[in-house]
Amino acid sequence: MKYMHIDKILVSIFQRAFKSITDEMSISLTKTTRSPILCEAKDFVTGLYDAKGQMLEQTENLPILSFSLGPVCKVILKQYGNDIHEGDVIIHNDVFSMGNQNNDVAIFKPIFHKNILVGWSAAKGHQADIGGAVQGGYNPNATEVWQEAIRIPAVKLFEKGNLRKDVWNLIFANIRLQMVQEDIKAQIGACTLGERRLKAFVEKYGMEVFESHKQALFDSTEKMMRAEIKNIPNGVYEGKSMVYYDGKHKDSKFPIRSKITVRDQEIIFDFSKSSPQTKGFVNGTYTSTCSAITLTFLQMVNPNIPHNEGMIKPLKYIVPEGTILNASYPAATTFGNHLCPQVADSIFKALGPAIPEKVTAGWNHLLCSLFTGIHPRTQKKYVDICFLGMKGGSGALKGDDGYDHIGMIDASGGVLDQDYEMYEQQTPHMILQHEYLSDSGGAGQWRGGLGTVTQIMLRGRDTTMVVFGDGDVETNYGLFGGKGSVLNKIELKYKNGKKLIPMSKDMIFGIPNGTLYYQIAGGGGGYGNPKKRIKEKVLQDVKNEVVSESAAKNIYGLKTEIKCNTK
Amino acid sequence: MKFKVGIDIGGTFTDIIAISETGDTTVHKILSTPEDPSIGFINGLREVAGMRSMDFEKFLSSIDTIVHGTTVATNALLTLKGAKTALLTTKGFRDALEMRRGIREEQYNNHYRNVTPLAPRYLRFTVDERIDSEGKVLKKFKEKELLPIIKKIRDENVESLAVCFMNSYKNSSHEKQAVKFLRKNLPRIFVTASFEVLPSIRFYERVSTTTVSAFVGPIVAKYLDNLTQKLESISFKGTLLIMQSNGGVVSPDVVKKTPAVTVLSGPAAAPTAGAFYSQLLGYKNCITVDMGGTSFDTSIVINNQCVTSTEGSINRYRIALPSLDIITIGAGGGSIGWINEGGLLQMGPQSAGALPGPVCYERGGKIPACTDADLILGYLNADFFAGGKLKLNKSKAKKAIQDELASKLGLSVPETAAGMYRIINSNMAQGVREISVERGYDPREFLFIVAGGAGSIHSSEICKELEIPMFIVPNVSSIFCAAGMLLGDLKHDYIRSHFTSFNNLDRNKFLSLFNEMKEEGIDTLLKEGITENKIEFYPVLDIRYVGQYHEVQMEASWDDVMNFNLENIFESFHKEHNRQFGYSLKEEGTEMELINVRLRAIGKNEKPKFLFENIDAITAEQAIKEQREVYIPELNRMKSVPVYDGDKPIFGSQIKGPCVIEKITTSIFVSENYDCVVDDFGSFIVFEKEKYPDGFSLKKELVEVHAY
Repeated sequence: MKYMHIDKILVSIFQRAFKSITDEMSISLTKTTRSPILCEAKDFVTGLYDAKGQMLEQTENLPILSFSLGPVCKVILKQYGNDIHEGDVIIHNDVFSMGNQNNDVAIFKPIFHKNILVGWSAAKGHQADIGGAVQGGYNPNATEVWQEAIRIPAVKLFEKGNLRKDVWNLIFANIRLQMVQEDIKAQIGACTLGERRLKAFVEKYGMEVFESHKQALFDSTEKMMRAEIKNIPNGVYEGKSMVYYDGKHKDSKFPIRSKITVRDQEIIFDFSKSSPQTKGFVNGTYTSTCSAITLTFLQMVNPNIPHNEGMIKPLKYIVPEGTILNASYPAATTFGNHLCPQVADSIFKALGPAIPEKVTAGWNHLLCSLFTGIHPRTQKKYVDICFLGMKGGSGALKGDDGYDHIGMIDASGGVLDQDYEMYEQQTPHMILQHEYLSDSGGAGQWRGGLGTVTQIMLRGRDTTMVVFGDGDVETNYGLFGGKGSVLNKIELKYKNGKKLIPMSKDMIFGIPNGTLYYQIAGGGGGYGNPKKRIKEKVLQDVKNEVVSESAAKNIYGLKTEIKCNTK
Repeated sequence: MKFKVGIDIGGTFTDIIAISETGDTTVHKILSTPEDPSIGFINGLREVAGMRSMDFEKFLSSIDTIVHGTTVATNALLTLKGAKTALLTTKGFRDALEMRRGIREEQYNNHYRNVTPLAPRYLRFTVDERIDSEGKVLKKFKEKELLPIIKKIRDENVESLAVCFMNSYKNSSHEKQAVKFLRKNLPRIFVTASFEVLPSIRFYERVSTTTVSAFVGPIVAKYLDNLTQKLESISFKGTLLIMQSNGGVVSPDVVKKTPAVTVLSGPAAAPTAGAFYSQLLGYKNCITVDMGGTSFDTSIVINNQCVTSTEGSINRYRIALPSLDIITIGAGGGSIGWINEGGLLQMGPQSAGALPGPVCYERGGKIPACTDADLILGYLNADFFAGGKLKLNKSKAKKAIQDELASKLGLSVPETAAGMYRIINSNMAQGVREISVERGYDPREFLFIVAGGAGSIHSSEICKELEIPMFIVPNVSSIFCAAGMLLGDLKHDYIRSHFTSFNNLDRNKFLSLFNEMKEEGIDTLLKEGITENKIEFYPVLDIRYVGQYHEVQMEASWDDVMNFNLENIFESFHKEHNRQFGYSLKEEGTEMELINVRLRAIGKNEKPKFLFENIDAITAEQAIKEQREVYIPELNRMKSVPVYDGDKPIFGSQIKGPCVIEKITTSIFVSENYDCVVDDFGSFIVFEKEKYPDGFSLKKELVEVHAY
């Protein structure tokens, strides 16, 4: 190979430029999509890849979707070989060819320079519907993929710039909502934006400089990642967490076991010893699990490492087929993204003894509900994913309390609550309470992030509630003497006084207008002995009524009479 | 002789411009006095009087207007030194302010903290009242619930109180009752309610903006009281006006009611001045950039109007009032160079600021900064920085770059300095891209105006990256903001939420909302001394397609609004949607809905005349000071180029690049691929070689602008 001079400065500029392109794609998607899952909660990712499908950069609004695009890109390259042309648009969701979740639909656009493939732009977003037996895709009764979704292996929506109307019609004939077509158009638009800018970029610098400096960027990033891994002592570390209830068998539970091997500057995540796959939809896919592993590990390294192929190169994943984290064809898997909290727990627990200053205590697990019904004012169907109720606290870590009301680790603060007043306009529901829950942050020298309590008056007609999640059996754990938090809980209080606590994967039909929805999202676990917590912080928490006086005395060991300094 | 005076007080410098009625101008720059900015204010005026050989009192009494840009509110938010603030809200919503909808901006950083809430939880009180989403009272507000809260507020020595209830944008009666009772019982406390600050839908936006207003309110009021008193005591009899974040000016009394309108008081003047300059040159659209010590501000002007946005925040505190759309990134003369763990050179966003400052300042700075690189590359003159007031130490800068960066990169010092220069330029180009491309505008179609002391060294590279063919460095570029203040009109923004599909929109309701806002605007402007014939109204509608979540803010004509001419309004909405997002749904006949109606009331101000003396110009060659080695990016090496004295009258000359033009307040680098022409205002127009821009022989247009 010809020696090519590397301009180190240009490498920095490449990194900035790639990031600005994926950011721009992301802004465009936020503004043009319609499903609140996309434009409000930003449940999507945008990325650029090179001609081999290697990641150049990503904007990861929701990390759990993020590390599946590269692998799918490689699948597409293998499948189409030389049959890839300028103007092609490829769509994909298939979980048995590297998709992470049926609802997460990816669009890819190849990018050419002088008739040579130089890269790909891609956007993946969680669609409001993807066919299957139940609107929205969360079907606790599913046992096979076809009961969950329409499978879309890599297929061309456009060929050489021409829409394949037959393919388009076939796909969307199997999806309930018109909105999904509009949102896919928005994803294609974002990819076109990325294509245009990367193309101009390659034109500016030429192929040779592009290739060599891209490689130099990968190398530099890989070096950063390996330096981080080098900080972890060599060894084999094991951790365990538990998944409760598969949606079909009461009291069923399934262990997740991580074995993490650190060898010099490489790290291997082995989940072979985890439970076999379940019969229901509580199953992961290979890439949802790899994403969960990656996003957890990224929480323990320098947050400034650029996101490209070099970053993931030192990470090795072993997730055998047939396990709960990589179910075999044709299993149901829609719940798979939500196994992320358990994967994260098992990794934090394993690495705790090796890098106690980097791991966090347990994060709150997701327990979420989705409502559909008729809005009495508009007489139209409404869908509400109750984001604001589901968000609990993150685990504390050495030196800092957990983050209050951040929500599941899969999103790490990337999913926003709906605005209350907009929510009351869009849905028939009325919010009565959405506040921090006192004593919900696990006690510790550093306190877990606070959980929340939410009360909503349900006022729709023919309301159906789908519940999916976990965290209602075992509390989020504390670390090194820190305490756990409180359990997740959802309860319906009917007007006639009856109460109903749904299972963690459940569907409740015919909820009458006037029923009160009550939810607790737990806090994060604490870190270190609570008795070592700085007194001023305990007093401040008491003053702010996020820690009760009795907890301050009994758990934090505050001896002095609590007389809040009010003057 | 009457004067108009603009005073911009920034963190480091206080800039003053005084313009007489005949148009002659005095410009002055002194150090700010952050402990009490009014000291610098008065001293500056005194020195300007001296510069004009006038008795101070006589000068003061001849000033008819002072327009003032202040960073008092901005700094209170940046340093969290505002009032001790409490919040009163609806039961069940105590924590919305602090939750910020649950965002963590750095997703992978577990040490990243939430912001400190401006009203701490123990000072967030709730009352058991409720208005539903249609504005119907579900639970009545009861005054007696306030009694224990009032006691606590007194006991805690709270200084300021924000009131924000659920759905008050639909029905503000509860907020009004609460505020009335609270003001009566807490006469010494600053009380402000959301219906006064931002009566629009979106609870989080409203509660945050109202609390920001409460937090900065007492400090801003105290500062303005102190200032007006001082001015009165030294016989100032003219009008004092304050620059607002929306680019307009306002009387101190109005500011005291909604202090949050001043959080971007300083930088807001740059686009205002930009709009003026571009108009002068026959352009409608421009981008202004302002590179200071720590930050790089960029903003945009469309059709001679500064672009406003309601998406702003400062220090992560959300403020949803209309503010000029200004993108700020951490790139300035003080931005430091560092090497990341992967061995790559980075610039900023950390800054050495003015203290300890860049290494070459010799004020204790150890880490090489952008200014150090600019010095090594020959763009700055070690003996002529700020006209020679601050000597720069080149050898210290060299050594720091060698030790901290070059040795680790395996590059030479000039190579490293060139790298610092290129990287920070690329960062700034990204800021310009954000304000233009990401808003759907092509920067190549805009006049590019460079303000601030440091920007003109970097502009040709920023422009090259974005393919912008030309940039202009105005004559008064270093005090651009102070000059811009004299160009602002009185501006007040009003908003009412009215959430309905257009099919159900009631004509009378629609008109009454606009008339209500109009009355309020007229009332305020009359009090500010504007006559009714100088008042103009600009309606804006927030519209979206049914099913969308993000609305488009769209200007409408006053006539279309008053005649309820919806067809015209729909047509412009489709157009605007298409411009921003690349498509419209006109053909599909998709239904549209209205979210908010807004009205901007403008009181037209008398503008000063700028006079540019017709001194006999000298040729460019006569202004050459020396030859100097500077870095030429196109060649990627140093080259000897002429250095011109930019303070000499070289009006009308053409100067070939590459060269450096040195002024006391700024340096301009004209790169290899550029040429420069100096226009009759003394502004420098730098353009791609041989592509002399049309329409730049200016004498005639100058007269027309004066008439305006």
